[in-house]
Amino acid sequence: MPGTIAAIANLKGGVGKSTTTVMLADGLAYFYGMNVLVLDLDAQANSSQMLLTEMGVQAAAEQGKSMHNLIGEFMAGRPGAAGPFIMPNAVSLEELRIAEEQDDRKGWISMLPAHPQLRLQELGLEEEWYTRSGTPKTLAEALAGFLRNAIEPLRPLYDIILLDCPPHLSPIARAGLALSDIFITPTIADSVSTWGTKQFSDWIGKYIAPDLPGRNFVVITRFRDTRYARQVASELREIYLSDRWFGPTIPESVHILNAMDRPAPDSYNTFRGKYGSVRGDVRRLAERFTDFLTHRTGTTWQRIRD
Amino acid sequence: MAEDPGLTAVEYLDRFFDELREEVRANPRLAARLVKALGGSVVFEDEAKAEVSNPYVVAASGSKPKFYSVFAGLKPGQLRQVLRDNNLATRIDMAGKSSAQLLDMLYERASSKVNERKSSMF
Repeated sequence: MPGTIAAIANLKGGVGKSTTTVMLADGLAYFYGMNVLVLDLDAQANSSQMLLTEMGVQAAAEQGKSMHNLIGEFMAGRPGAAGPFIMPNAVSLEELRIAEEQDDRKGWISMLPAHPQLRLQELGLEEEWYTRSGTPKTLAEALAGFLRNAIEPLRPLYDIILLDCPPHLSPIARAGLALSDIFITPTIADSVSTWGTKQFSDWIGKYIAPDLPGRNFVVITRFRDTRYARQVASELREIYLSDRWFGPTIPESVHILNAMDRPAPDSYNTFRGKYGSVRGDVRRLAERFTDFLTHRTGTTWQRIRD
Repeated sequence: MAEDPGLTAVEYLDRFFDELREEVRANPRLAARLVKALGGSVVFEDEAKAEVSNPYVVAASGSKPKFYSVFAGLKPGQLRQVLRDNNLATRIDMAGKSSAQLLDMLYERASSKVNERKSSMF
């Protein structure tokens, strides 16, 4: 199935959604040669910042290539086509850049970035919609239809489309969840995050995906190796989310923080240089997720790099 | 060990497994983690059984008799330890409680937490 749409989502904030998005995009492009499209639906624009830098996010917005520009088409009543709003190069890995130079575009990352302007625009959209007797539900449905049409022509061009969703149920977030084939849930091994996974399961299960367990890939992030964290992680696997697919447990790491801080839009690094001591974690994340994709879609993927 | 040129590969590994065996004997928590990592299932007896058992996991099985069979053999101090280690009670909560009361508290609070955190849909 080309262009599987995967929402990276959790109703709780601060659980590593954007970091997981970027690690997956890099890992899938680097190890499996997948062409990845990242759509940032979160007005905090964290994954956009991590992939493009602050300057890159600003430049994209100035070129009219930002999520709020695409939503502007919806507000203007025009049919959406996401293609013109996409930044074709969101790659920061030197190996992928060199492969592209040699006309071997196996493994690439493009992005439709967000900008903080998106939140203001969404507020304006909600106000306008509700003034016309619309409801949050009808707005989310209309946006889902619009985004589905906007993305559909791109699906054959990409192997995976990652939607970085905001940590709340805004109409845009609900639209993103509604059009997703699978759900990637980053979470932290602590009690508040565990409760957050219950809220996520209950809401998505009731309104979006009654078959959530088979479509849900869970990643425990920012793991500090303490007895308490080990116990909570074990409870997540054995009790609360025992019917889900689990990715590897990603450690809390200064190296990950550094990897997410790209020096400049024209700065590239090798995979080893970018991820250093956590490169094995990124590889395992890509491996496990690819297994999950194969299980879901029947498509198999060959590793192209070690 | 690597500095001893006289060791065969088997002897070399034997030393490692001997160390591991000793540690597993002395440390039931490590033993439980290793068995779980290997996907196995083994029986722990008496105090070790309670020490390696997670009250949330046992409560999630839904069987009160099973829960009591795992934890009823513990002395009051051990029950207090389990309650404390699992964030299920403070010293104030446990003050003056008998073994039976501590066991009831362990069951009720662990069961309640599991119900609060488990999805009502799945």
